[in-house]
Amino acid sequence: MILQTDGQTPIYIQIAHWLETQILTGAFIAHEKVYSQYQLADMLQINPATAAKGLNVLAAEGILYDKRGLGKFVSEDAKRHIKEKRKDGLLHELMEQIVEEALYLDVSKEELTSIVENVYQEKRDRKNGSH
Amino acid sequence: MEAIKCTNVVKKYGGRLALDHLSTEIPTNSITGIVGRNGAGKTTLLKIIAGLTRETSGDIQVLGAHPFNSLQVSANSIFIDDVLSFPNTLTLLDILKEGERFYPNWQMDLARRLLEYFEMPEQMVHSYLSKGKKSTFNAVFGLATRSPLTIFDEPTTGMDASVRSDFYRALLKDYLAHPRTILISSHHVDEIEDLLEYVLLIDLGKTKLHKEIDDVRSFLIGIYGRTELLEHWVKEREVYYRRRIGDTETYVVIENHVEKEELEKLGFKTEAISCSDACVYVTNQRKGGIDDVFTRR
Repeated sequence: MILQTDGQTPIYIQIAHWLETQILTGAFIAHEKVYSQYQLADMLQINPATAAKGLNVLAAEGILYDKRGLGKFVSEDAKRHIKEKRKDGLLHELMEQIVEEALYLDVSKEELTSIVENVYQEKRDRKNGSH
Repeated sequence: MEAIKCTNVVKKYGGRLALDHLSTEIPTNSITGIVGRNGAGKTTLLKIIAGLTRETSGDIQVLGAHPFNSLQVSANSIFIDDVLSFPNTLTLLDILKEGERFYPNWQMDLARRLLEYFEMPEQMVHSYLSKGKKSTFNAVFGLATRSPLTIFDEPTTGMDASVRSDFYRALLKDYLAHPRTILISSHHVDEIEDLLEYVLLIDLGKTKLHKEIDDVRSFLIGIYGRTELLEHWVKEREVYYRRRIGDTETYVVIENHVEKEELEKLGFKTEAISCSDACVYVTNQRKGGIDDVFTRR
Protein backbone atom coordinates (compact mmCIF):
# COMPACT_ATOMS: atom_id res chain seq x y z
CA MET A 1 0.00 0.00 0.00
CA ILE A 2 1.17 3.53 -0.77
CA LEU A 3 -0.02 6.17 1.70
CA GLN A 4 -1.23 9.51 0.37
CA THR A 5 0.17 12.29 2.52
CA ASP A 6 -1.55 15.20 0.78
CA GLY A 7 -3.92 15.55 3.72
CA GLN A 8 -7.02 14.62 1.75
CA THR A 9 -7.61 11.48 3.85
CA PRO A 10 -6.03 11.00 7.28
CA ILE A 11 -3.40 8.24 7.37
CA TYR A 12 -5.29 6.20 9.95
CA ILE A 13 -8.39 6.21 7.75
CA GLN A 14 -6.28 5.06 4.80
CA ILE A 15 -4.97 2.22 6.95
CA ALA A 16 -8.48 1.25 7.99
CA HIS A 17 -9.60 1.28 4.32
CA TRP A 18 -6.65 -0.82 3.28
CA LEU A 19 -7.32 -3.42 5.98
CA GLU A 20 -10.97 -3.50 4.93
CA THR A 21 -9.90 -4.20 1.37
CA GLN A 22 -7.59 -6.96 2.61
CA ILE A 23 -10.59 -8.52 4.36
CA LEU A 24 -12.81 -8.14 1.27
CA THR A 25 -10.25 -9.82 -0.97
CA GLY A 26 -9.86 -12.68 1.50
CA ALA A 27 -6.28 -11.89 2.53
CA PHE A 28 -7.66 -12.08 6.07
CA ILE A 29 -10.58 -14.37 6.88
CA ALA A 30 -13.01 -14.40 9.80
CA HIS A 31 -11.32 -14.97 13.18
CA GLU A 32 -7.86 -14.54 11.70
CA LYS A 33 -5.39 -12.25 13.46
CA VAL A 34 -4.61 -9.04 11.55
CA TYR A 35 -1.38 -7.05 11.64
CA SER A 36 -0.40 -5.49 14.96
CA GLN A 37 0.16 -1.75 15.22
CA TYR A 38 3.90 -2.43 15.27
CA GLN A 39 3.80 -4.58 12.14
CA LEU A 40 1.77 -1.91 10.35
CA ALA A 41 4.15 0.83 11.49
CA ASP A 42 7.13 -1.15 10.21
CA MET A 43 5.44 -2.06 6.91
CA LEU A 44 4.22 1.45 6.15
CA GLN A 45 7.00 3.49 7.82
CA ILE A 46 4.56 5.33 10.09
CA ASN A 47 4.22 6.07 13.78
CA PRO A 48 2.73 3.10 15.69
CA ALA A 49 0.19 5.42 17.33
CA THR A 50 -1.20 6.26 13.89
CA ALA A 51 -1.36 2.56 13.04
CA ALA A 52 -3.18 1.88 16.32
CA LYS A 53 -5.74 4.55 15.46
CA GLY A 54 -6.47 2.78 12.16
CA LEU A 55 -6.99 -0.53 13.96
CA ASN A 56 -9.16 1.11 16.60
CA VAL A 57 -11.48 2.58 13.97
CA LEU A 58 -12.20 -0.93 12.73
CA ALA A 59 -12.54 -2.29 16.26
CA ALA A 60 -15.03 0.46 17.13
CA GLU A 61 -17.11 -0.48 14.09
CA GLY A 62 -17.07 -4.14 15.06
CA ILE A 63 -15.08 -5.20 12.00
CA LEU A 64 -12.23 -6.32 14.23
CA TYR A 65 -12.42 -7.64 17.77
CA ASP A 66 -9.88 -7.66 20.56
CA LYS A 67 -8.41 -10.69 22.25
CA ARG A 68 -6.66 -9.43 25.28
CA GLY A 69 -2.91 -9.62 24.91
CA LEU A 70 -3.18 -11.43 21.60
CA GLY A 71 -4.11 -8.64 19.23
CA LYS A 72 -7.00 -7.85 16.90
CA PHE A 73 -8.97 -10.43 14.95
CA VAL A 74 -11.44 -10.31 12.03
CA SER A 75 -15.07 -10.50 13.18
CA GLU A 76 -17.46 -13.19 11.99
CA ASP A 77 -19.50 -10.88 9.76
CA ALA A 78 -16.75 -8.36 8.94
CA LYS A 79 -17.08 -8.82 5.18
CA ARG A 80 -20.83 -8.16 5.09
CA HIS A 81 -20.39 -5.18 7.39
CA ILE A 82 -17.69 -3.62 5.19
CA LYS A 83 -19.67 -4.14 1.99
CA GLU A 84 -22.76 -2.44 3.41
CA LYS A 85 -20.75 0.44 4.79
CA ARG A 86 -18.81 1.03 1.62
CA LYS A 87 -21.90 0.94 -0.59
CA ASP A 88 -23.35 3.82 1.40
CA GLY A 89 -20.07 5.63 1.79
CA LEU A 90 -17.13 5.25 -0.53
CA LEU A 91 -19.06 3.97 -3.55
CA HIS A 92 -21.51 6.81 -3.30
CA GLU A 93 -18.76 9.41 -2.98
CA LEU A 94 -16.83 8.05 -5.95
CA MET A 95 -20.06 7.98 -7.97
CA GLU A 96 -20.65 11.64 -7.22
CA GLN A 97 -17.17 12.48 -8.48
CA ILE A 98 -17.74 10.47 -11.65
CA VAL A 99 -21.10 12.07 -12.39
CA GLU A 100 -19.68 15.52 -11.71
CA GLU A 101 -16.83 14.93 -14.14
CA ALA A 102 -19.29 13.59 -16.73
CA LEU A 103 -21.41 16.73 -16.41
CA TYR A 104 -18.33 18.93 -16.94
CA LEU A 105 -17.55 16.99 -20.09
CA ASP A 106 -21.17 17.00 -21.35
CA VAL A 107 -21.25 13.22 -21.28
CA SER A 108 -24.84 12.08 -21.55
CA LYS A 109 -26.46 9.69 -19.10
CA GLU A 110 -26.55 7.00 -21.80
CA GLU A 111 -22.87 7.44 -22.63
CA LEU A 112 -21.98 7.29 -18.96
CA THR A 113 -24.05 4.16 -18.44
CA SER A 114 -22.35 2.46 -21.35
CA ILE A 115 -18.91 3.33 -19.99
CA VAL A 116 -19.92 1.88 -16.64
CA GLU A 117 -21.20 -1.28 -18.33
CA ASN A 118 -17.98 -1.74 -20.26
CA VAL A 119 -15.73 -1.21 -17.27
CA TYR A 120 -17.94 -3.45 -15.13
CA GLN A 121 -17.75 -6.23 -17.74
CA GLU A 122 -13.99 -5.86 -18.07
CA LYS A 123 -13.30 -5.98 -14.32
CA ARG A 124 -15.68 -8.88 -13.75
CA ASP A 125 -14.10 -10.91 -16.57
CA ARG A 126 -10.66 -10.25 -15.19
CA LYS A 127 -11.74 -11.19 -11.68
CA ASN A 128 -13.41 -14.43 -12.85
CA GLY A 129 -10.46 -15.23 -15.11
CA SER A 130 -8.00 -14.93 -12.28
CA HIS A 131 -9.83 -17.47 -10.12
CA MET B 1 3.10 10.51 32.22
CA GLU B 2 4.96 13.33 30.53
CA ALA B 3 8.69 13.08 29.89
CA ILE B 4 9.01 16.84 29.60
CA LYS B 5 7.03 19.62 31.17
CA CYS B 6 7.75 23.28 30.42
CA THR B 7 5.86 26.06 32.15
CA ASN B 8 6.37 29.66 31.09
CA VAL B 9 9.95 29.08 30.02
CA VAL B 10 11.76 32.27 29.07
CA LYS B 11 15.22 32.52 27.51
CA LYS B 12 16.85 35.85 26.81
CA TYR B 13 19.95 36.31 24.69
CA GLY B 14 21.09 39.86 25.33
CA GLY B 15 17.90 41.84 25.06
CA ARG B 16 16.24 39.44 22.65
CA LEU B 17 13.61 36.94 23.77
CA ALA B 18 14.42 33.54 22.23
CA LEU B 19 11.71 31.82 24.25
CA ASP B 20 8.75 33.86 25.39
CA HIS B 21 6.85 32.10 28.20
CA LEU B 22 6.72 28.82 26.35
CA SER B 23 4.68 26.04 27.91
CA THR B 24 4.34 22.48 26.68
CA GLU B 25 4.15 18.86 27.75
CA ILE B 26 5.69 15.95 25.87
CA PRO B 27 4.33 12.48 26.68
CA THR B 28 6.74 9.64 27.48
CA ASN B 29 7.51 7.24 24.63
CA SER B 30 6.30 9.30 21.73
CA ILE B 31 7.89 10.91 18.70
CA THR B 32 7.33 14.64 18.46
CA GLY B 33 8.35 16.85 15.56
CA ILE B 34 9.55 20.30 16.60
CA VAL B 35 8.87 22.66 13.71
CA GLY B 36 9.00 26.38 13.17
CA ARG B 37 10.61 29.10 11.08
CA ASN B 38 14.28 29.99 11.30
CA GLY B 39 14.89 31.72 14.62
CA ALA B 40 11.58 30.59 16.13
CA GLY B 41 13.34 29.15 19.18
CA LYS B 42 13.47 25.43 18.34
CA THR B 43 17.16 24.88 19.05
CA THR B 44 17.04 27.02 22.21
CA LEU B 45 14.15 24.95 23.55
CA LEU B 46 15.86 21.66 22.70
CA LYS B 47 19.10 22.75 24.34
CA ILE B 48 17.30 23.78 27.51
CA ILE B 49 15.48 20.44 27.58
CA ALA B 50 18.81 18.61 27.18
CA GLY B 51 20.31 20.67 29.99
CA LEU B 52 22.93 22.28 27.75
CA THR B 53 21.61 25.81 28.31
CA ARG B 54 19.95 27.31 31.33
CA GLU B 55 16.57 29.00 31.02
CA THR B 56 16.30 32.63 32.13
CA SER B 57 13.07 31.96 34.02
CA GLY B 58 10.16 29.56 34.16
CA ASP B 59 9.87 25.96 35.24
CA ILE B 60 11.13 22.93 33.40
CA GLN B 61 11.09 19.26 34.36
CA VAL B 62 12.76 16.58 32.23
CA LEU B 63 12.49 12.94 33.30
CA GLY B 64 11.50 14.21 36.71
CA ALA B 65 14.46 16.56 37.23
CA HIS B 66 15.58 20.07 36.42
CA PRO B 67 17.82 19.44 33.40
CA PHE B 68 20.58 22.04 33.77
CA ASN B 69 23.64 20.48 35.44
CA SER B 70 21.69 17.30 36.14
CA LEU B 71 23.71 14.11 35.82
CA GLN B 72 20.50 12.12 35.80
CA VAL B 73 19.17 13.98 32.74
CA SER B 74 22.56 13.90 31.10
CA ALA B 75 22.94 10.12 31.44
CA ASN B 76 19.42 9.51 30.18
CA SER B 77 19.35 11.87 27.25
CA ILE B 78 21.28 12.68 24.12
CA PHE B 79 21.28 15.84 22.05
CA ILE B 80 22.40 15.40 18.45
CA ASP B 81 22.94 18.24 16.01
CA ASP B 82 25.22 18.91 13.07
CA VAL B 83 27.81 20.83 15.05
CA LEU B 84 28.32 18.11 17.66
CA SER B 85 32.07 17.91 18.10
CA PHE B 86 34.25 14.99 19.14
CA PRO B 87 37.97 15.11 19.98
CA ASN B 88 40.17 15.12 16.89
CA THR B 89 42.49 12.44 18.19
CA LEU B 90 39.78 9.79 18.43
CA THR B 91 38.77 7.44 15.62
CA LEU B 92 35.09 6.69 15.04
CA LEU B 93 35.53 3.40 16.89
CA ASP B 94 37.16 5.19 19.83
CA ILE B 95 34.19 7.53 20.01
CA LEU B 96 31.79 4.59 20.04
CA LYS B 97 33.79 3.03 22.88
CA GLU B 98 33.51 6.26 24.87
CA GLY B 99 29.76 6.20 24.20
CA GLU B 100 29.65 2.71 25.64
CA ARG B 101 31.37 3.91 28.81
CA PHE B 102 28.88 6.68 29.45
CA TYR B 103 25.50 5.52 28.18
CA PRO B 104 23.93 2.65 30.14
CA ASN B 105 21.80 1.44 27.20
CA TRP B 106 24.56 1.72 24.60
CA GLN B 107 24.16 -0.57 21.56
CA MET B 108 27.67 -1.25 20.28
CA ASP B 109 26.59 -3.90 17.82
CA LEU B 110 23.92 -1.67 16.26
CA ALA B 111 26.34 1.27 16.02
CA ARG B 112 29.01 -0.77 14.24
CA ARG B 113 26.56 -2.37 11.85
CA LEU B 114 25.13 1.04 10.95
CA LEU B 115 28.61 2.47 10.34
CA GLU B 116 29.37 -0.45 8.07
CA TYR B 117 26.08 0.01 6.22
CA PHE B 118 26.76 3.71 5.70
CA GLU B 119 30.30 2.87 4.54
CA MET B 120 32.20 4.71 7.24
CA PRO B 121 35.55 3.13 8.17
CA GLU B 122 35.88 2.74 11.93
CA GLN B 123 39.45 4.04 11.83
CA MET B 124 38.44 7.39 10.31
CA VAL B 125 38.87 10.56 12.35
CA HIS B 126 35.62 12.44 12.91
CA SER B 127 36.90 15.83 11.74
CA TYR B 128 37.91 14.38 8.35
CA LEU B 129 34.36 13.31 7.59
CA SER B 130 32.34 15.24 5.02
CA LYS B 131 29.39 17.29 6.24
CA GLY B 132 26.90 14.60 5.29
CA LYS B 133 28.97 11.80 6.82
CA LYS B 134 29.39 13.79 10.04
CA SER B 135 25.63 14.13 10.33
CA THR B 136 25.28 10.42 9.61
CA PHE B 137 27.80 9.46 12.26
CA ASN B 138 26.17 11.76 14.82
CA ALA B 139 22.76 10.29 14.04
CA VAL B 140 24.13 6.76 14.45
CA PHE B 141 25.67 7.80 17.78
CA GLY B 142 22.28 9.19 18.86
CA LEU B 143 20.46 5.98 17.97
CA ALA B 144 23.09 3.80 19.65
CA THR B 145 22.73 5.55 23.02
CA ARG B 146 19.12 4.33 23.08
CA SER B 147 18.53 7.14 25.56
CA PRO B 148 15.09 7.42 27.19
CA LEU B 149 15.11 10.98 25.83
CA THR B 150 16.65 11.28 22.38
CA ILE B 151 16.82 14.71 20.76
CA PHE B 152 17.73 15.27 17.11
CA ASP B 153 18.14 18.90 16.07
CA GLU B 154 18.13 19.03 12.26
CA PRO B 155 19.79 15.61 12.15
CA THR B 156 19.79 15.24 8.37
CA THR B 157 21.70 18.41 7.40
CA GLY B 158 24.00 17.51 4.54
CA MET B 159 22.77 13.90 4.22
CA ASP B 160 21.74 12.87 0.74
CA ALA B 161 18.17 11.76 0.09
CA SER B 162 18.95 8.09 0.32
CA VAL B 163 20.80 8.36 3.63
CA ARG B 164 18.00 10.55 5.04
CA SER B 165 15.39 7.97 4.26
CA ASP B 166 17.60 5.16 5.61
CA PHE B 167 18.14 7.11 8.81
CA TYR B 168 14.41 7.68 9.34
CA ARG B 169 13.81 3.99 8.66
CA ALA B 170 16.46 3.01 11.21
CA LEU B 171 14.99 5.45 13.72
CA LEU B 172 11.49 4.04 13.37
CA LYS B 173 12.62 0.40 13.54
CA ASP B 174 14.65 1.00 16.67
CA TYR B 175 11.79 2.99 18.21
CA LEU B 176 9.31 0.17 17.51
CA ALA B 177 11.59 -2.33 19.23
CA HIS B 178 12.61 0.04 22.04
CA PRO B 179 10.10 2.87 22.58
CA ARG B 180 11.56 6.07 24.02
CA THR B 181 10.81 9.78 23.94
CA ILE B 182 12.13 11.28 20.73
CA LEU B 183 12.16 14.92 19.66
CA ILE B 184 13.16 15.76 16.08
CA SER B 185 13.38 19.23 14.66
CA SER B 186 13.36 19.61 10.91
CA HIS B 187 12.65 22.12 8.20
CA HIS B 188 11.39 19.28 6.04
CA VAL B 189 8.16 18.41 7.80
CA ASP B 190 6.96 16.37 4.85
CA GLU B 191 9.95 14.06 5.31
CA ILE B 192 9.29 13.26 8.94
CA GLU B 193 5.55 13.68 9.34
CA ASP B 194 4.68 10.00 8.95
CA LEU B 195 7.08 9.12 11.76
CA LEU B 196 5.50 11.56 14.16
CA GLU B 197 2.79 11.15 16.73
CA TYR B 198 2.74 14.85 17.64
CA VAL B 199 3.78 18.14 16.09
CA LEU B 200 4.92 21.04 18.23
CA LEU B 201 4.98 24.23 16.17
CA ILE B 202 6.98 27.05 17.72
CA ASP B 203 6.66 30.64 16.57
CA LEU B 204 8.30 33.72 18.09
CA GLY B 205 9.44 31.67 21.08
CA LYS B 206 5.95 30.42 21.94
CA THR B 207 3.95 27.25 21.38
CA LYS B 208 1.79 28.06 18.37
CA LEU B 209 0.31 24.63 17.77
CA HIS B 210 0.69 21.32 19.58
CA LYS B 211 -1.43 18.55 18.15
CA GLU B 212 -1.53 14.98 16.98
CA ILE B 213 -0.16 14.76 13.47
CA ASP B 214 -3.53 13.87 11.90
CA ASP B 215 -5.13 16.86 13.57
CA VAL B 216 -2.50 19.15 12.06
CA ARG B 217 -3.22 17.65 8.66
CA SER B 218 -6.90 18.47 8.98
CA PHE B 219 -6.48 21.76 10.85
CA LEU B 220 -6.80 24.05 7.83
CA ILE B 221 -8.75 23.90 4.60
CA GLY B 222 -8.25 25.72 1.31
CA ILE B 223 -11.30 27.09 -0.49
CA TYR B 224 -11.67 28.43 -4.04
CA GLY B 225 -14.66 30.44 -5.15
CA ARG B 226 -16.03 33.53 -6.83
CA THR B 227 -14.43 36.52 -5.14
CA GLU B 228 -17.57 38.46 -4.05
CA LEU B 229 -19.28 35.37 -2.68
CA LEU B 230 -16.21 33.99 -0.95
CA GLU B 231 -15.13 37.31 0.59
CA HIS B 232 -18.62 37.78 1.98
CA TRP B 233 -18.65 34.26 3.37
CA VAL B 234 -15.25 34.50 5.12
CA LYS B 235 -15.97 37.91 6.67
CA GLU B 236 -16.45 36.47 10.16
CA ARG B 237 -13.60 34.01 9.91
CA GLU B 238 -9.88 34.13 10.43
CA VAL B 239 -8.14 33.96 7.05
CA TYR B 240 -4.67 32.39 7.18
CA TYR B 241 -3.89 32.99 3.54
CA ARG B 242 -5.59 34.76 0.65
CA ARG B 243 -4.75 34.92 -3.02
CA ARG B 244 -6.61 36.32 -6.02
CA ILE B 245 -6.80 34.02 -9.01
CA GLY B 246 -7.49 35.96 -12.16
CA ASP B 247 -10.23 38.58 -12.01
CA THR B 248 -13.11 36.59 -10.63
CA GLU B 249 -11.80 33.92 -8.26
CA THR B 250 -10.12 33.94 -4.87
CA TYR B 251 -8.40 31.27 -2.80
CA VAL B 252 -8.46 31.42 1.00
CA VAL B 253 -7.15 29.18 3.75
CA ILE B 254 -9.21 29.02 6.96
CA GLU B 255 -9.69 26.70 9.91
CA ASN B 256 -11.45 23.52 9.05
CA HIS B 257 -14.73 23.98 10.94
CA VAL B 258 -16.88 24.02 7.85
CA GLU B 259 -19.68 21.95 6.42
CA LYS B 260 -18.60 20.55 3.08
CA GLU B 261 -22.22 20.56 1.90
CA GLU B 262 -22.64 24.25 2.62
CA LEU B 263 -19.54 25.00 0.56
CA GLU B 264 -20.80 22.89 -2.32
CA LYS B 265 -24.11 24.75 -2.34
CA LEU B 266 -22.22 28.03 -2.68
CA GLY B 267 -20.19 26.59 -5.54
CA PHE B 268 -16.88 26.63 -3.65
CA LYS B 269 -14.18 24.05 -4.20
CA THR B 270 -12.10 22.77 -1.31
CA GLU B 271 -8.57 21.53 -1.04
CA ALA B 272 -6.76 19.73 1.76
CA ILE B 273 -3.80 21.51 3.36
CA SER B 274 -0.79 19.32 4.09
CA CYS B 275 0.95 19.34 7.44
CA SER B 276 3.93 21.33 6.19
CA ASP B 277 1.72 23.87 4.41
CA ALA B 278 -0.40 24.24 7.54
CA CYS B 279 2.72 25.05 9.55
CA VAL B 280 3.73 27.67 6.98
CA TYR B 281 0.28 29.28 6.87
CA VAL B 282 -0.05 29.38 10.64
CA THR B 283 3.29 31.13 11.08
CA ASN B 284 3.08 33.37 8.00
CA GLN B 285 -0.08 35.12 9.05
CA ARG B 286 1.44 38.21 10.55
CA LYS B 287 3.20 39.50 7.47
CA GLY B 288 1.15 38.46 4.47
CA GLY B 289 2.77 36.63 1.57
CA ILE B 290 5.82 37.13 -0.60
CA ASP B 291 3.55 38.66 -3.24
CA ASP B 292 3.05 41.69 -0.96
CA VAL B 293 6.74 42.55 -1.27
CA PHE B 294 6.24 43.01 -4.99
CA THR B 295 3.06 45.04 -4.68
CA ARG B 296 3.68 48.75 -5.04
CA ARG B 297 2.27 50.79 -2.24
